[in-house]
Amino acid sequence: MRNLLIFISCLGAFPVWAVDAQGVLERADQARGGHLPGVVWVIHLVSREGDKRLEPQTLEVRAVDDASVAETLEPARFRGAKILQVGRNMWITKAGLSKPIPVSPRQRMTGQASNGDIAATHYAADYTARMDGEERLNGEPCHVLELTARHKRTTYDRVRYWVSKEREVALKAEFYSLSGKLLKTALFEYGHEIHFEGRRIPFVSRMLIRDALLDAETDMHYEAVKVRKVPASVFDLGQMQ
Amino acid sequence: MHAAGGRVAAISGGVLVGCTVCLATLAQAQTWQSTWDASVYASLSTRRVQADSVLNPDNLLARLPDSVGVLETRFDWRLESERLGMHLRPILRQQWQHGGGGEGGLDEGYLSQWRLRGVLTESLSASLGRDVMNWGPAQFRSPSSPFYFDNGRSDPTRELSGVDALKLAFTPDANRAWNLAFVRGTGHDDRDDWKNTWLLKGEQRGSDWTVGWVAAKSAGRAAFWGGYGQWTLGDDWLLYGEAASSRLHQALRSPVSLAQPFRVEAESARQSVWLAGANHTLESGQALSLEYLFNGHGYHEAEANAYFTRADQSLPNAGLALSARPALLGRHYLHAVWQSNLLEEGDVWRLMWSHNLQDGSQEWAAYFDHPLNTHLNLYALGVFNRGGAASEFADLSARSLQIGLRLVMP
Repeated sequence: MRNLLIFISCLGAFPVWAVDAQGVLERADQARGGHLPGVVWVIHLVSREGDKRLEPQTLEVRAVDDASVAETLEPARFRGAKILQVGRNMWITKAGLSKPIPVSPRQRMTGQASNGDIAATHYAADYTARMDGEERLNGEPCHVLELTARHKRTTYDRVRYWVSKEREVALKAEFYSLSGKLLKTALFEYGHEIHFEGRRIPFVSRMLIRDALLDAETDMHYEAVKVRKVPASVFDLGQMQ
Repeated sequence: MHAAGGRVAAISGGVLVGCTVCLATLAQAQTWQSTWDASVYASLSTRRVQADSVLNPDNLLARLPDSVGVLETRFDWRLESERLGMHLRPILRQQWQHGGGGEGGLDEGYLSQWRLRGVLTESLSASLGRDVMNWGPAQFRSPSSPFYFDNGRSDPTRELSGVDALKLAFTPDANRAWNLAFVRGTGHDDRDDWKNTWLLKGEQRGSDWTVGWVAAKSAGRAAFWGGYGQWTLGDDWLLYGEAASSRLHQALRSPVSLAQPFRVEAESARQSVWLAGANHTLESGQALSLEYLFNGHGYHEAEANAYFTRADQSLPNAGLALSARPALLGRHYLHAVWQSNLLEEGDVWRLMWSHNLQDGSQEWAAYFDHPLNTHLNLYALGVFNRGGAASEFADLSARSLQIGLRLVMP
């Protein structure tokens, strides 16, 4: 009996690193568009810098693996402008540009959202995950993952990621530079649901990004989410114009 | 040559019929979406013609107007389904000009682009129409494009018209693409240069690099070989280049000896043109670019001097020098650009500097675009040329200024 009690208490103290951190990350990715055959969604972005409210934007994003195309729907004068990203290659087309122009990853959209934030998330492929304890976020128990970039192609060098233990979706992220400086934080909501491989998966409906140093934030609302194969021709520059 | 032309026509006709049948089949049971938008450009331009121009003495030849007013409407209409797409881009242009002996107006309407496209399989699509077949990472000029060496980057307001082509595009994945095209002609611009041209183009991407290659051949002309590449180095640097090997059609030769006249060669010697560039993005998102271009088709310094000296000898010589001048006169150029963050939605600006390293002439240009509201933008383009007469960038025009409004609908 005594041995049984010792055995049961050891189970209770079983270290959290036994939970597959990389598996948790991969399932959390799906709720943000990763590891799907393709995903299409519309994002409404509203950005604020101090008291200044920037012009709202609406984008349609089509993404698969590490490729995405974001097309501006609003404001009207930039309608049709597109950002193509394949790996770390990025191009932009818009009125006034006679051909797609390559841009570097440092060029970011208005506000706090980077191209990596609006596209599908593949943290499981881009980062090595390590469990770093548990916390409750808004009353919801979460795994806290420490993500370290596997290669230089990632948007961020290090991410601290809160993933709900029950729903397996990311609720909060802190993004860090290589030097350990906190760059920004993000909060997520999952008001959508998708069906994939017989499963019902909660899907991101909102991402609120706040700059860690400045009084600035971008509020992104996701709509019209569809899981569907995105043809490769979408990423052909010759067919973008 | 006639037999070859007949074969080309037969093959083209067969492909056209085949595409039509495929597209008609694809058109059945489709869900269609129609969208349209339009931009109206209203602008006024003024130019200071070079007073002592060698190529255009007293503005008798080029007859450049002092001022121009333009009202141009650009429509885009799309009808698309999952497997088929149609696109029309008609342009309506009204122009009034004053001075330079060219008083009066111009009304024209034309199709700048149009396209009928069908997705044949998951990786293969075909299109017929008038397409802007422009590519490559360079800003100053595009050596790797046989159709758009002057790629339109120097004037953001300029409409670049397409070339008439039948195309097959094979894209097995996001990292690879091949295009086979038959270019019937240069569309609205209607130049003879590349009529009935076969073009093969490929592009391959890695995680942080892209390379492309181009081969173009038309009957009776030597082949054009081109290529481009770009490498994303870190978060903030882009290194890129373009190159081509070709022979020019109807090339104006300028012998160093003034005892010899200008000579127009039906086809020049094969030469290479290549460009190397670097782009750095600042923390603010603004970008700086610097490019060097070597133009093998250009004149050596002595040839360029003889070009202007010969043009100065007589009006007919000046007329020939002006009408048949090469796309770029010299061999060595620098080009720099400083521009605002292209991904931001507010003001857009762009400063450009071009420098002919041989004759020392320069062109400074500044473009600015400011949104007045969600539909209306104010823009301006100023160009300042330095070097005086008998220099490439300043012989025709000393400076120009364009101010305009752009209205987008709906």
